[in-house]
Amino acid sequence: MTQIFVLAEHRHGQLRDATWEAITAGRELAGKLGGEPTCLLLGHNVDSMADALAKECPKVLAVNDPWLEHFNSEVFVRALVPILKGRKPFILVMCNSNSILDLAAYLSVDVDAALATDCFGFEVANGKLMALRQMYSYKVNALVSFKDTENIVVTLRGGAFSFAPSGEPAGTVETIPCPLGDEPIRKRFLNFVEAEKGDVDIASADIIVSVGRGIGDAEDLEMFQSLADAMGGVLACSRPIVDKGLLPKYQQVGTSGVEVKPKVYLALGISGAFQHLGGIKGNPLIVAVNKDPRAPIFRAAQYGIVGNLMDVVPALEEKIKELKG
Amino acid sequence: MCVKWRPDTSEADVAVNKEGKDINKADLDYDINDWDRFAVEEAVRIKEKIGGKVTVVSVAPEDGESMLRECLARGADEAFHLCDEAFEGSDGYAVARTLVAFIKGRPCDLILTGTLADDDCGGQVGGMLAAMLGMPQSSLVHKVDIQDGRANIVRELEGGLSEALEIDLPAVLSIATGINEPRFVSIRAVRKVAGLDIPVLTSGDVGLEQSQVGAAGSRIKIEKVFMPPEGEGAEIITGSTEEAAGRLAQILKEKGGIA
Repeated sequence: MTQIFVLAEHRHGQLRDATWEAITAGRELAGKLGGEPTCLLLGHNVDSMADALAKECPKVLAVNDPWLEHFNSEVFVRALVPILKGRKPFILVMCNSNSILDLAAYLSVDVDAALATDCFGFEVANGKLMALRQMYSYKVNALVSFKDTENIVVTLRGGAFSFAPSGEPAGTVETIPCPLGDEPIRKRFLNFVEAEKGDVDIASADIIVSVGRGIGDAEDLEMFQSLADAMGGVLACSRPIVDKGLLPKYQQVGTSGVEVKPKVYLALGISGAFQHLGGIKGNPLIVAVNKDPRAPIFRAAQYGIVGNLMDVVPALEEKIKELKG
Repeated sequence: MCVKWRPDTSEADVAVNKEGKDINKADLDYDINDWDRFAVEEAVRIKEKIGGKVTVVSVAPEDGESMLRECLARGADEAFHLCDEAFEGSDGYAVARTLVAFIKGRPCDLILTGTLADDDCGGQVGGMLAAMLGMPQSSLVHKVDIQDGRANIVRELEGGLSEALEIDLPAVLSIATGINEPRFVSIRAVRKVAGLDIPVLTSGDVGLEQSQVGAAGSRIKIEKVFMPPEGEGAEIITGSTEEAAGRLAQILKEKGGIA
């Protein structure tokens, strides 16, 4: 029978929240396919993490080694390959974090598994697993099946599987030796690099005017800054604006940028990819202006205008100034 | 240096096709994948700094030749076009296998890819290539410094945090958008490469059976594609620009959006 594994993710010696979402998905798969999930914990000084995981997972396989303290995809692949090869066929469930992005594709080849990344749901037909994911700038959903191998690796869309404690009795922890081998490690972690701090603090702003790919060039920024000033808010942006060098990284909202928790979020020319929405916390009022009526942002927003920013933004600024008297 | 030709859906209206297994692509504009443009620029910058030769390769339909020519105009030295009807329907695994078949006979120090393609949003090819070639790899790389047979890199984590790593060459680096500012391609640069030969290679030319490539050689099969359910979307404010802006200003005021 297919065994279901969930890889725990940690940073600075703490389990990362997405691990619990992966356990939730592992339970769901076990419910659909039979069996129970086993949690894989690879780290250093793992005891307290292993105990926490065992509360929610029937079985924890723990590997303890100083090399596993920081996430390093090469070391993790090397440790995981012998563990998984001896336990085929399997389904391995992991978060879709930026650390796992380094690991998933490489590992899938080395353990002879099919891979679907960034899945937000699963279906089973005739005992075969299928995964739901998104394509084409995250505008279209796709249901995919797996072939040519019995082993499957999936990574999960953040927030797609919400965790609730199982209420079951705690599971067991089994510590297994670290199968790293003697080959030299060719990829070495050096240090973390903190984000550059700037003079605009979007993290604590109540009112945010955020601009995305749909805006024009640098000279148009003035118009958006002027609107933000009229509203008494700050100007922020999505990733493509930083990539173009129009605004600094510390003004970027999203999972790879800054997490914000405003009261009001005005999204201008932002498509609304999940990486961007993932940075908006605290359920603010989201209002979107975009020329594409199918832009995902309109599913996250409460109010929207489908139209051209160059027309709407100056008109909006004028109306706001009128209201302020 | 591996690049991808894909439909630009970032600003386009997309619709599912009749068969329900893909979107209608006939009216979409194709271009080099956004992430790959940054990777090409980085490859050329590394060459300009430390020397060497940049070879660009893509598994792409016929039209993809224009992308390869653009890469030459951007400063790549040679380009190869892996083009075969049998490549159609490839997933990340089949693409990686095809690229590896090409790369294997050509020793290199560094392989660059984009981290993600915005059509299938998979983020798989770089890592799979590396595994198949037995090289170390890293993705979301936003800083590269090559020296003494090593790549010192910085890669993105979440929330503005990054990590610095050193990786022994040869290695595969999958590049993040924003790592550089891709150069403007002048008409002169385009003219200069207009006559260069871009060899076209089929599956047989790289030593692969048809069963190993395309949909047949893939491990993921798309059963169906569909538009996400509408659900509880935004209330769309209609009317003239003036009316809509007035209504929106009113809503913002009521909800604390005007300080």
